[in-house]
Amino acid sequence: MATLTLEHVDKVFGQKTSRVQVLTDVNFETTAGELSLVLGPSGAGKSTFLTIAGGLQTPSQGNVQIDGQALGQLSAHDRDQLRLNRIGFILQAHNLVPYLTVKDQFRLVDKVKPKGNLSAADLTKLLANLGIDKVVNQYPAELSGGQSQRVAIARALYQNPAIILADEPTAALDSERVKVVGALLQRLAREQNKAIVVVTHDLRLRDFADHVYQLMDGHLTLES
Amino acid sequence: MFLALKEIRHEKLRYGLIIGMILLISYLVYVLSGLAYGLAQQNTQAIDSWDAQTVTLDRDANVSLSQSLITTATANKLTLTKHQAYVGQAGVVAKAKGKTNVSTQFLGLDKTQFIAKNLKLTTGHKPTTNRQVVADTSLQNQGYRVGDHITLNSINTKFTIVGFTKNAKLNVAPVVYGTLGAWRTLRGVAPTMQASAIVSQKSGKTTTSPLKTYSVQAFVNELPGYSAQNTTFGFMIGFLMIIAVVVIAVFLYILTMQKLPNYAVLRAQGIPARFLVGNTISQALVLVVSGLVLGALLTFATMRALPLGVPISFNLPLLGGVTLGILLTGVLGALIPVRLILKVNPVTVIGG
Repeated sequence: MATLTLEHVDKVFGQKTSRVQVLTDVNFETTAGELSLVLGPSGAGKSTFLTIAGGLQTPSQGNVQIDGQALGQLSAHDRDQLRLNRIGFILQAHNLVPYLTVKDQFRLVDKVKPKGNLSAADLTKLLANLGIDKVVNQYPAELSGGQSQRVAIARALYQNPAIILADEPTAALDSERVKVVGALLQRLAREQNKAIVVVTHDLRLRDFADHVYQLMDGHLTLES
Repeated sequence: MFLALKEIRHEKLRYGLIIGMILLISYLVYVLSGLAYGLAQQNTQAIDSWDAQTVTLDRDANVSLSQSLITTATANKLTLTKHQAYVGQAGVVAKAKGKTNVSTQFLGLDKTQFIAKNLKLTTGHKPTTNRQVVADTSLQNQGYRVGDHITLNSINTKFTIVGFTKNAKLNVAPVVYGTLGAWRTLRGVAPTMQASAIVSQKSGKTTTSPLKTYSVQAFVNELPGYSAQNTTFGFMIGFLMIIAVVVIAVFLYILTMQKLPNYAVLRAQGIPARFLVGNTISQALVLVVSGLVLGALLTFATMRALPLGVPISFNLPLLGGVTLGILLTGVLGALIPVRLILKVNPVTVIGG
């Protein structure tokens, strides 16, 4: 059962006059089977929240745990391994490797993590579900913004992570595709027992979430 | 290697240009090395073919074969072994009717001694009289043939070419082998002069006055222009290698800089920095090896196309050394941006 916990997390950038507190006493917990949505306007600290949750940044204060393991106690190498094996990052569009075809984006994952990824049949199903099964031999530059975004989602899911952290996963998608992606994330959480955290300002995803948080001026609050 | 090859295949023009640049650098280094080695060889080919260890000259000859004379009186004090031979040197111009004049080095030999005995001919036979000579094959390339009658300098005596031998050059001039008797005539010395030098296949010094023994290397280093020419080429190749390091390193640095956003994404996804560093180095190796192979092929084609008179030559240690030098240069260039990869911050692609 994957769990992600943030306890009393503060994040401060800069010092003295340039000091900016991005996160203030953030407490958050999600477990396997849940889709959590963190909503907030631009500059609210959503991406900082996500990068701290995924071990890409360390908090100025507080504690982040994945499955009870404090990330602050892990070496850089162990954090790499954790991200590779347990966490799937869905980043915004244009974050695909430009010189790899869609098919090769998945092969790259196989090169560094040969085991534990989706089977070929599951990948085919996933690509069909996302409507990108016809573009597997194309390069990112040949894809539309929406297709690129769905490939980025598929790539993160291919690693079969227990925790999925998504940064604006529907930013480049039309309403129909938002529904497909929302439903997919919801299904992954419920049927495959994944802990999914989505940071976004896309309110269209609200209906798919189990919990909705508001991040405003660095303060995280759970909507009732 | 996966990422390296995929990227090269996708960015054909960009990597083609880099391979082209390495090709040109390696081509230049190969050709320069070949010319340096070829020219050096033309200074010493004849000496190398004798398999000599030492050269004994008049001690006041300033280590110069052309300045040295050994008298018969001195020679009478010596007992030469089968590994020693007299050589009489004279710079002469070979002429024949209808043929180009060629500046040559005439070397008079004693037919009973090892140099004359070991002379390997490509055609013809060894001289048996004072009027017969064997010449370097470069004279053959200039139209001289076995049976041709040539004059050497302004002496009216006609010499007959009775054979040709390969790799017979001294001080960048083709050698014409004849007898010590002919040498005396050409050099204009009295019969009281025995030779210019004693060449020996064994190390060991002659103590007889006024002679002095030098190692072949010491002797070769004093050949006119030899050291200066080698030093010049050495510096040219050295500077070229340094420039190659800088150029290749700058290209790889710029390439890596351009890829940092992609690397940041991959780092965010947990792709180990080790994998990305390995990719960068293997990509550099693929580029450098491709450039080297193409450079070597182009050099080979150039060698075939160059006129015979151009002194270009290669040997395996030289080629290996140059290749290894450029390869190390490439790896060194690839290592410079490694720090950038290790320090890439995945947060930069997610924003704040």
